[in-house]
Amino acid sequence: MRITERLLRKSEDLMNRSLVTMLTGAVVVSCLAAAPARAGLNVQIFPPALFRATTTPVYYQGHPSYWYGSRWHYRDGRGWQSYNEEPRYLRDYRTQHETQRHYYGRDSEHHR
Amino acid sequence: MRLLSMTGLALVAGFGLSAAGTHAAQAPSPAGGTSTSSATPAEDQAASELKEHHRHHHDGGVTKFIAMSLDTLGTDDAKRPQIEQLQSDLHAQMAPGREAEQSLQLELADGITAGTVDTVKVDAAIARLTTAADTEQAASLDTLNKLHAILSPSERAALVDKVQAHWEVWRQVNHEEQPGGRERGGRLAELTEEVSLTPDQVTKISAALHTAMAGLSDKFDPKKGEAHVHAFSAAFAGRSFNAKAVTSNANAHLASRGATRMAIFYETVTPLLTPEQRTKLAAELREHANHRAAA
Repeated sequence: MRITERLLRKSEDLMNRSLVTMLTGAVVVSCLAAAPARAGLNVQIFPPALFRATTTPVYYQGHPSYWYGSRWHYRDGRGWQSYNEEPRYLRDYRTQHETQRHYYGRDSEHHR
Repeated sequence: MRLLSMTGLALVAGFGLSAAGTHAAQAPSPAGGTSTSSATPAEDQAASELKEHHRHHHDGGVTKFIAMSLDTLGTDDAKRPQIEQLQSDLHAQMAPGREAEQSLQLELADGITAGTVDTVKVDAAIARLTTAADTEQAASLDTLNKLHAILSPSERAALVDKVQAHWEVWRQVNHEEQPGGRERGGRLAELTEEVSLTPDQVTKISAALHTAMAGLSDKFDPKKGEAHVHAFSAAFAGRSFNAKAVTSNANAHLASRGATRMAIFYETVTPLLTPEQRTKLAAELREHANHRAAA
């Protein structure tokens, strides 16, 4: 009887510890996810090398611009920049043209 | 007490998650309109094909990156015929390297089919490729000067950025990627898909590649490539340009180390594949070689 009780208590302790661990994990994740919102930060993702090397840019105001992650990005002397508000020219271009990608697969006519 | 602490944790977690949800809703929405395409950070077909390309083609080094950058430069229609002509000239100037690389790939494909790669023949082919790549920069000087003259400042900036992007991708797949690494999009993951490797084969190949690459005596030095790309970028972005003044030349280094890594990969995996898998892999490598011959 005593052994059974001890086993049950041990099992209960283990369950509680797992639950606490899971909830602590959830707290950490949720706080990390909420941090940018509280700090007013806006995380930007700029077009990576794999994208720039395979995509034709659109030239606007003296910069090659790329539509990536639902925004237009360009690079100037200070590094990568993004338009917070989409310029009309770029918006018109985007709504009238497909983004031009280049494919280098073995069966591509451009493979060389 | 325990119940209280757990309830507290649950409330904090719930509050945090709801705040995160609010942030997502308040984040700048995609610009309006009917977007025809919106690339996401996920690796797509064009990106994975470029990685495969750079894993297999090393003949022109930085000169090759310049030629490839013209594929997506997006100049206006009036300039396009001249740009295409200059790109064609660059390809012609890189022809000796392309032919040397083709013979290397066909040699490797024959070895894969046979079950053993002849390393003496492969090393000789890599040496021919390295010699050819070393001469390509000098052969392309006039073409690069013409290219600079025809492009606007913003097009030059775009080309420089694209050359840097190609270099970044090349360096990632031929140097930074862990030999035998099993990450998604890595060479071993691609091979697994190409020839349907079993989990046991993946484990053995991963270990074998790690050992084979670790024993490589002549390692790739990314600083050499960086110096060449930087020298070209700084010069080409300027108002005047003289290709002869770009004295850094890492083309032979890139060709030699890239081709060696490719050869070691095939030499290492070949004995660990079944005859059917070898046939399939050899056919894919011949496709790489023969497409280049047709270009």
